[in-house]
Amino acid sequence: MSAVKPLRRLDDLLDPHLMSRLDAIDVMSRKIFSGKLQGERRSKRRGQSIEFADFRPYVHGDDLRFVDWNIFGRLDRLFLKMFLEEEDLSLVIAVDTSASMRVGDPDAFDYARKVAMALSYVGLVNQHRVSLVGFSAGRIERASNLRGRRKAAEVASWLLRREPEGGSGFEEAMRLVGTTRAGRGVMLVLSDFLFPEGFEKGLAMVAGRGFDLYALQVLAPQVVDPAREGGVTGDLLLVDSETGAETEVTVTPELLRIYKDRLDRLCGSLRNYCTRRDIVHMVVETSTPVETLMLEYLRRRGLLR
Amino acid sequence: MPILAVTWVTPLAGAVLGASILAPLLALWFLKLRRRRRVVSSTLLWTRSLADLRANAPFQRIRFNLLLLLQVLAVLAFAIALAQPEAEGLGSAGGRHVIMIDRSASMGAIETTDGSGDALDEPVSRLALAKDAAKARVRELLGGGWFSLNASDVMVVAFGARAEIRAPFTDSIASLESAIDGIAPTDESTRVAEAIELARAFTSNQNRADDRGQQTEVDSSDLPTIELYSDGRIADLGKLSLRPGESVVYHRVGSAADNAAVVAISAERPPDAPDRVQVFASVANPAAAPRRVTLQLAVNGTVRAITPDPIEIPAARAAEPGAQDALADGAGVGFVPGRAQVTFRPIEQPSNASIEVAIVEDDALRADDAAIAVVAPAKLLSVLHVGGDGFVVRTLLEGLPVERFNSMDLAQFDAAVEASTLASFDVVVLDAVQPKRLPAGRYLVFGPPPPVEGITAFGEHKGVYARFVREEHPVFRLASLDELFVSKLTAVQADRSFQVIAEAAEGPLVLAYDRADMHVVYVAFDPLDSNWPFQRSFVNFTASAVEYLGRMGDAIASRGLVPGEAIALRLPAGSRDIEVIAPNGVRGKVTADAEGNISWGPVTVAGLHRIEFLAPGAAERAVRLVAVNIFDAAESRIEPLPELRLGNASVQGISVASSRRGALWPWILALGLLVVVVEWWYYQRQVRV
Repeated sequence: MSAVKPLRRLDDLLDPHLMSRLDAIDVMSRKIFSGKLQGERRSKRRGQSIEFADFRPYVHGDDLRFVDWNIFGRLDRLFLKMFLEEEDLSLVIAVDTSASMRVGDPDAFDYARKVAMALSYVGLVNQHRVSLVGFSAGRIERASNLRGRRKAAEVASWLLRREPEGGSGFEEAMRLVGTTRAGRGVMLVLSDFLFPEGFEKGLAMVAGRGFDLYALQVLAPQVVDPAREGGVTGDLLLVDSETGAETEVTVTPELLRIYKDRLDRLCGSLRNYCTRRDIVHMVVETSTPVETLMLEYLRRRGLLR
Repeated sequence: MPILAVTWVTPLAGAVLGASILAPLLALWFLKLRRRRRVVSSTLLWTRSLADLRANAPFQRIRFNLLLLLQVLAVLAFAIALAQPEAEGLGSAGGRHVIMIDRSASMGAIETTDGSGDALDEPVSRLALAKDAAKARVRELLGGGWFSLNASDVMVVAFGARAEIRAPFTDSIASLESAIDGIAPTDESTRVAEAIELARAFTSNQNRADDRGQQTEVDSSDLPTIELYSDGRIADLGKLSLRPGESVVYHRVGSAADNAAVVAISAERPPDAPDRVQVFASVANPAAAPRRVTLQLAVNGTVRAITPDPIEIPAARAAEPGAQDALADGAGVGFVPGRAQVTFRPIEQPSNASIEVAIVEDDALRADDAAIAVVAPAKLLSVLHVGGDGFVVRTLLEGLPVERFNSMDLAQFDAAVEASTLASFDVVVLDAVQPKRLPAGRYLVFGPPPPVEGITAFGEHKGVYARFVREEHPVFRLASLDELFVSKLTAVQADRSFQVIAEAAEGPLVLAYDRADMHVVYVAFDPLDSNWPFQRSFVNFTASAVEYLGRMGDAIASRGLVPGEAIALRLPAGSRDIEVIAPNGVRGKVTADAEGNISWGPVTVAGLHRIEFLAPGAAERAVRLVAVNIFDAAESRIEPLPELRLGNASVQGISVASSRRGALWPWILALGLLVVVVEWWYYQRQVRV
């Protein structure tokens, strides 16, 4: 179990040094969506940005400010210059707050909160609409439509108030997220994806609904390798942190080998599932520094730039 | 094939430990193992992994069982060690034990190995080995050992021809060891029935006397365990059987088998040359292979002759069913030892002498390698014939070279008996007459049985042949009964005081009776009712019988005594300061009765016994010699029996050498610890990550 001090402040969630480095990056989506507000992001809609998109013949009622007078001078016809409108991006960060995330050292829940904070900060700084969703036991809690750097404290406060408990109820939680979404955008699911009922149905609730979906599988080192220092050895009564179910095991190298094989198969099936549905899947150990994750891994996968 | 049997010093403690730990251990394995609780994010992967492990590892069950097996093995080892097993197979400790130690002649065999093939530091007798083993057993039974919960009572009985309680039931180690140490070797034959009866009597006495004096049943659980230390050559074993609840542990002593024996000796003065002595001897080979021996003849300790060539003695053979010459061998199967007869050339010896025939070669048992006969000085006998019309016997007696021969009828004899005027006759021959009574003396009796206690006539048999003759008896020297036909035989029933020396299928033909003052050779038919008078054997028999009987008064010449019998002599009336000196130096004071009769014994060792006394009016002490010889081919068969047959039961022998291995339990304890270490190593190897 984690012996680190609990997270209490924004600085605990997001290191100032990392914060300053995050100022320079933005969230990227592999898709172009229509936003609600004018933002700093290209939209599919033609609008008032400075980025040229196309010409079209002038029709009555068009804003004369966008008429290309140079063409009119050469061709004596009115053409309207069309620009790509820059809109805001909806960034939804779903954090698994089930009890299973509290296990490990560092535990997955704290790690997920730090990642959520860092991503939220990137979104806020870049004037995206950031929504945070915490899900456990089939319920969700949300902090929606936060925008601007000033909301960082609010995001941090919301994250710090979350406590992991109960099961995940992943399918129900994703169904709620999918049906109550406020605009298209990028969605990250931060979870260990160790759901007794499976992850497929839950991801299906959000995968087909226009989100540029990222599944970030956060695993504690003790989950990846139970025999790691402080891990499980010998004759044990394993207690499921969510269900309380008990399992008697005598940990042997053979059992560990099978366990790792099982974990690999779980991760592999999640990856295959995600690939088939255009979902980006990443596995991250909580021992990986958040800065490394943000500035290297996620940039390499195209979520950040 | 030797069997390693085991003694459990504290079986109960081991059983309790085993039961108290094994059951919980198995319960723990099969019910629940105490495990450390560990909270994990999800048991999802673990349960699926376990399922995979069980599904994909067909040997998982075996591995599980291996650990359990090791633990069970360790617990069993500890339980067994706690029971303190010792490599002897002596039955359980606790309860009552009767230690019976064979002290017969065969136990005097010298052993150079301990029975298991290991050489001893120095040769010792079987009896010494048996005593050492018995003392060790006493210490085991009473020493308690660790965790002992049982107390034992031990009784010590020594037996040869007779049994002797050396120590009654006690738990005193010192008393028992002292009693065992005090057991002296004898040259007696081996009869265990009396010893077992003693043990039974002692047990039943103890059980039947409760506090109120009421009789109670003997509880079979109270019956003692008989621990028999012997070589198994017990003559009367085939007649014994175990009672319900009785148990016998046979401690087999010794391993030597090499032995030959002189089983008969006789010396006589030829009638035509009374100054000479002719010696006859018989040697026996109880082993399964023939052997050659050299015999020497010594007179008064001086070697006078030696066989020029070794005597070939054939091998012993198994007895055919019903064979008269078969000897019991303790295994339920009779055997006939190989025999060879030796006749030495007559030697000049006019005076009395002790004559010894000895085997020159060494063997394991020396006591039976020599036989001694005492011959009286050359002297002619006085013979009285009592009879009516029996001219055959009288005529024959008249022809014998005797000093004086008289004949009278029955009435005169009875009158002479009343008048006590018969003392001057060395031998009285009763020829088909039956006097009213017989005074002390020596009698050759033909026809009706003599008026002696122990023999009764109950009819007659018609037309019988001799079937078995004890040819080694002096009266049958040169007297074969092979062609004897008796038309009318007196049917007699004799008790054990009579020795049957020739018999027909229907009953005894010739019997011998030897008591302190009465010696009788009884022929149970009138020679006129047979064809015997027409045979040379009749003359030889009558002459030998007169000679045999006549010399008895002066010395036990040709027959001698066997260990276990008593010396009975008639010394001159009024003799005093009588002392018997045994060959082993044991001395005994004896007092004669008014007629000069003495008895001493029973003698226990073979050899020449000296009886020194002071005759009335004599200035110097006189000496009589009595020869005591083993003369027991069965006893000379010294090869230990691997197992005893007691009725239908078979008791496997346990070599006393095995007791030298000591306690087994420390090794088993060490094994248990080793198993624990292996189990721990295996467990760690399994869980090591």
